[in-house]
Amino acid sequence: MFQKLTGSARSVLRAAMERSEQAGAPGIRTEDLLLPLFDRPDIAAGAALATLGLAERRASVEQALADAARRGGLSQTDAEALAGIGIDLAEVLGQAERAHGEGALAVGDATRDRWRPEYRAFSEGAKKVLERALREAVENGGKQIGDQHLLLALATPPGVVADVLAEHGATSTEIRRALARRPAA
Amino acid sequence: MTEATALAARAGDNDPRVGLRAVAALRRLLDQLESVQVRNARNQNWSWQEIADDLGVSRQAVHKKHGRH
Repeated sequence: MFQKLTGSARSVLRAAMERSEQAGAPGIRTEDLLLPLFDRPDIAAGAALATLGLAERRASVEQALADAARRGGLSQTDAEALAGIGIDLAEVLGQAERAHGEGALAVGDATRDRWRPEYRAFSEGAKKVLERALREAVENGGKQIGDQHLLLALATPPGVVADVLAEHGATSTEIRRALARRPAA
Repeated sequence: MTEATALAARAGDNDPRVGLRAVAALRRLLDQLESVQVRNARNQNWSWQEIADDLGVSRQAVHKKHGRH
């Protein structure tokens, strides 16, 4: 797998690993793959995030991920869909926290991800992102996964990270457009 | 306005995408609520059988799903 990564994608993975270790997570979670991209305006994925105005909204993205984790892995978009069928997620969360304590519905990561005990380097969700990134690379005629393929994979629904990106205006379509405007390095 | 609200506003309540998304979110919420309630019951020393009876499922099913927590 690692041989298929470009240098920049590898550096993103290294940063993701450091981030997950600092958080005390058993391995790389989906959001650990996204947040390092904000620190890298020098690579295609980071530049695309800056183009879409996400760079200055990093705090809002992190807050949305933290909120989703507290809601048991449900994004704001999920909350609005639930409101559409008459369920007030804030009310449900409030009742659960009143009865069972703050963070009653909380999960260890924003995406409510699972871990297979035999392979803990990546969460199930993070593994799916890598697989999707590989598909993106192959579909674009490439042999290597670049950081731009990682970003596209992160932005492809379903998933909390994809929802949070879309809520901030960075849908996979917009990201593709932003990437196309900048010639690949 | 996020994607789901935009969709709902455009298509009314008739868009399957909005409804299906709500059902998928509800399923995840249900799982989370079940975990909270089972944990609470176990903390109050309920047996797996008692929990299973109130959930309306088999003891094996509830133990398999929540037994490790």
